[in-house]
Amino acid sequence: MSIWHLISNASVLVQLVMGILFVASIMSWIMIVQRGIFLNAAQRGFRQFEDAFWSGVDLNKLYGELTQEAKEHGGRDGVENVFRAGFREFNRLAQTDKADPDAIMEGTDRAMRVALSREDEKLNISLPFLASVASVSPYIGLFGTVWGIMNSFRGLAMVQQATLATVAPGISEALIATAMGLFAAIPALIAYNRYAAIVETMNSSYETFAEEFSSILHRQIRAN
Amino acid sequence: MGSFLSYSVAVLVSLALHLGLLAVLFVGWEPETSRVMIQPQFIEAKLVELAPKKTVAPRKPKVDVAKQKREAKKRRDKQRRDKLAAQKKAEDKKREQERIAALSEKKRLEELRLAEEQRRRDEQAAAEEAERKRIETEFAEAVAAEQAEINAQEDERVANSYRQLIQQRLSQNWSRPPSARLGMETLIRIRLVPTGRIVGVTILTSSGDTAFDRSVEQAALKVEQFVELQGMKPDLFERKFRQVDVAFSPEDLRL
Repeated sequence: MSIWHLISNASVLVQLVMGILFVASIMSWIMIVQRGIFLNAAQRGFRQFEDAFWSGVDLNKLYGELTQEAKEHGGRDGVENVFRAGFREFNRLAQTDKADPDAIMEGTDRAMRVALSREDEKLNISLPFLASVASVSPYIGLFGTVWGIMNSFRGLAMVQQATLATVAPGISEALIATAMGLFAAIPALIAYNRYAAIVETMNSSYETFAEEFSSILHRQIRAN
Repeated sequence: MGSFLSYSVAVLVSLALHLGLLAVLFVGWEPETSRVMIQPQFIEAKLVELAPKKTVAPRKPKVDVAKQKREAKKRRDKQRRDKLAAQKKAEDKKREQERIAALSEKKRLEELRLAEEQRRRDEQAAAEEAERKRIETEFAEAVAAEQAEINAQEDERVANSYRQLIQQRLSQNWSRPPSARLGMETLIRIRLVPTGRIVGVTILTSSGDTAFDRSVEQAALKVEQFVELQGMKPDLFERKFRQVDVAFSPEDLRL
């Protein structure tokens, strides 16, 4: 009476449920690992950028370096993009003579907002999938279990002498579905909660940076 | 590029995790299941007709009979040899008679001796015959005793299987009252007829609790008939199952 025996003897629907849950578990773990790597890199990148930004380096030079890097390695993610979008827009607007400071700042803020929302999107990729797996897979598993138990009790009604041995395999096989549902859901839920918290923190950090950068530019434009 | 790398790492990690899980389930599940699936040994109520085995018992007498035959033959040979010797002697005697006819007295003596010898020989033969008969009867007795013992054992085995059946049937039909306590015992005597029907139940020793006694009585009455007893040998039934004493005591209770 191995677990394989139980699974292979299960009804088609229960097997289907198990298959769905297994695939969901694999997918959610792919997302978990990938997002873990991505968010870790994003946090590290943000810290490095902040260190570089507040080290008193010339902003033009920093912009030049980052643009160079972006050209060489393809677009990098993170707060650099916000900085580059804001700075590029600011420089472009400032080069046109007739622009007034308020209009320049407005344009810069808008460009940074766009970059921010792009970054937000990048951070949030596949988090909805984790949320779905976390909330739905227990129900799918439960469905499989209920169906399996239903069948095993229906089988029980047909036998003369009802012993535990006649229902036990059916129930055991049905319970595998719930176990798989929970197996898929628990890591997905934990990862979702953790990653959602990280994404929120990152977003607020990005926004804070954007505000600070905006105020620096504002100061600069007023000084001119 | 970076995202591709992270995705491939993620896929690898995920697949490795799930394959590992499957492997653990595959390897680690078996022993637990085998432990769990040990089932209580059911008492088989099937009655096997136990025919007395005839292989062991006859073999022994066969060997003995051969031996007996050998001995008998030896004895016969000896007798024959004796006889031949006697005839020779008689011829000698005759010749002697003819040769020494005058010695009638001697002859008479000789004849007397001959008669004596003959008588002795007859006696000896008779004794031998008696001895052989005695051994034969002893042997037959021993065989019979052995056979009886084997039969008794077989009977006992059959009787035990019937007893088990009766016990099982009674305990199935026994619903203990709530007042049943550990250590109570009621001994009842069930009287049966060869159809297996219960014709009487009497309480031999009471447990002291009337409800308990009544439940025991009810159990016996509920069974009504042990149909399987019909297949029993009549003499076995008469000897062992005309009256059956059954002791009821709750052993699985905590109080």
